[in-house]
Amino acid sequence: MLRVENLSGPLSAPVIHHVSLAVPSGATHLVIGPIHAGKSMLLRHIVGLEQPLSGRIYLEGARIDDAIDSETQLRRLRSRLGVVFEGSALISRISAVENVELPLLEHSRCSPAEARDTARELLAEVGMADAGNASADDLPRSGSRRIAIARALALRPAVLLLDEPTQGLDAGAAHEIDDLLGELQQRHGFGILIFSHEVRHAFGLATEIYVMADGTIIARGDRDELASSDNDVVRQLLHRRGTAA
Amino acid sequence: MTLSTPVASPPQSPNRSTQARFISRGQLTARALYWLGWLAFSRRSVVTSGVEREVYALGIGALRLVASASLLVGLIAIFQVATQLAPYGAEPVSPRVVTWFAARELGPVVVAMLLVARSSAAIAGELASMNVTGEIDALRAMGLDPVKYLVSPKLLAVIIVLPALTLISDALILGGVWVGSTVFLGYSTDRFVSQIREAFLTRDLGVGIGKSIVFALIIAVIASDEGLSADRRASAIGEAATRAVVYSLILVLGADTFVNAIFYFIPGLI
Repeated sequence: MLRVENLSGPLSAPVIHHVSLAVPSGATHLVIGPIHAGKSMLLRHIVGLEQPLSGRIYLEGARIDDAIDSETQLRRLRSRLGVVFEGSALISRISAVENVELPLLEHSRCSPAEARDTARELLAEVGMADAGNASADDLPRSGSRRIAIARALALRPAVLLLDEPTQGLDAGAAHEIDDLLGELQQRHGFGILIFSHEVRHAFGLATEIYVMADGTIIARGDRDELASSDNDVVRQLLHRRGTAA
Repeated sequence: MTLSTPVASPPQSPNRSTQARFISRGQLTARALYWLGWLAFSRRSVVTSGVEREVYALGIGALRLVASASLLVGLIAIFQVATQLAPYGAEPVSPRVVTWFAARELGPVVVAMLLVARSSAAIAGELASMNVTGEIDALRAMGLDPVKYLVSPKLLAVIIVLPALTLISDALILGGVWVGSTVFLGYSTDRFVSQIREAFLTRDLGVGIGKSIVFALIIAVIASDEGLSADRRASAIGEAATRAVVYSLILVLGADTFVNAIFYFIPGLI
């Protein structure tokens, strides 16, 4: 389980303020908000890329914010988080299968041959069995997003974090990614936290939605609760559904 | 072994102070050398294949440039030296002077300059662009050290490539000197060879190779540091590449001056 309590940060120049949320195992939650609302900064705090000003981040009971100065502890906690960054962020000069085996080689005791086999199995699981030798640079957007998901799942994380997972994809490819995430979650039971400005996610997998604006959570609830919200930002966001879905 | 620099160290501002740059480059050098040691015993294919890729890109890719530039430098040097020595009747020893200078100075410095121009900007630009696209953050988020996976293969490749290219450059500068002295100055090949034998000493070659290893370290560390510390915006890529070239050039020439000053003030050293 991932829990964020009253988080503000980063330390140098805070852009998120008093954010709290929790993602239980097997649940899919969504942080939605306009661009520059602080969503990506919240994700960076959760994976320990930014030092918070105050607040706490727990992953399976261990504090991530406390581990930021301890390389060993941070590495261990990060191995329990799968992250798909905006735009996939695959390492461009290596192949798809090498991208997926990177975390395996770093964090597990498996041999290079075992890591390669596991990476190929993961690629097959996300429907990219034939793309193993392709350079990350040569993959189409939907393909690179699938490879990034396979890489994020390599260490069987407790929580999968996805930053704008369907940005830049056409409607068909975006729905395929949603379906894939649903299937993988059912199979492996991890929690999912999606950070997106696309309203369509609110009407997909997510059971709990946090609306973020100006670095704070301004509303939370399921889609029916938010639909009846009288907050102007929430209403404006949900109103866009017809055009964004 | 645990290094003190946190894996999560964020990109620093390109406007950081000289002291901050010095500390950052010191830490980067320590980390890169540590991972180089690790690389020697690694069975992990991703990093070692990275070294092969970098050797090809930085070394084989630069071969034509280094070869043609070295030949021309040899020709230019023999014409210049012959012109300067002619009034003193010392023109016949021109090949000897150039040969000595080529091994100690021209070879390593010319190759370093060419590598700075060709590869320093490329390394800094590549790492800066990985910063912009989130690839560096992705590595950190997976608990992977970017220095291990990105910098150490480049550092090892440059340390292999620069001395190797220096040896090739030395030979081709001599080729240029031979063409200049036989075709244009009218000396015989026998005379050229005898002067080379007298002037071309192993210790001069050793000094040149030693310098090239120092230059390699400077080029790889400066370029990598500028790339990794670039901001996450598109225009930062070009800025990082420019800074990498400027700082690398100054530091390579500074290091060369320092080494030459040592040899001048301590005559019996080598």
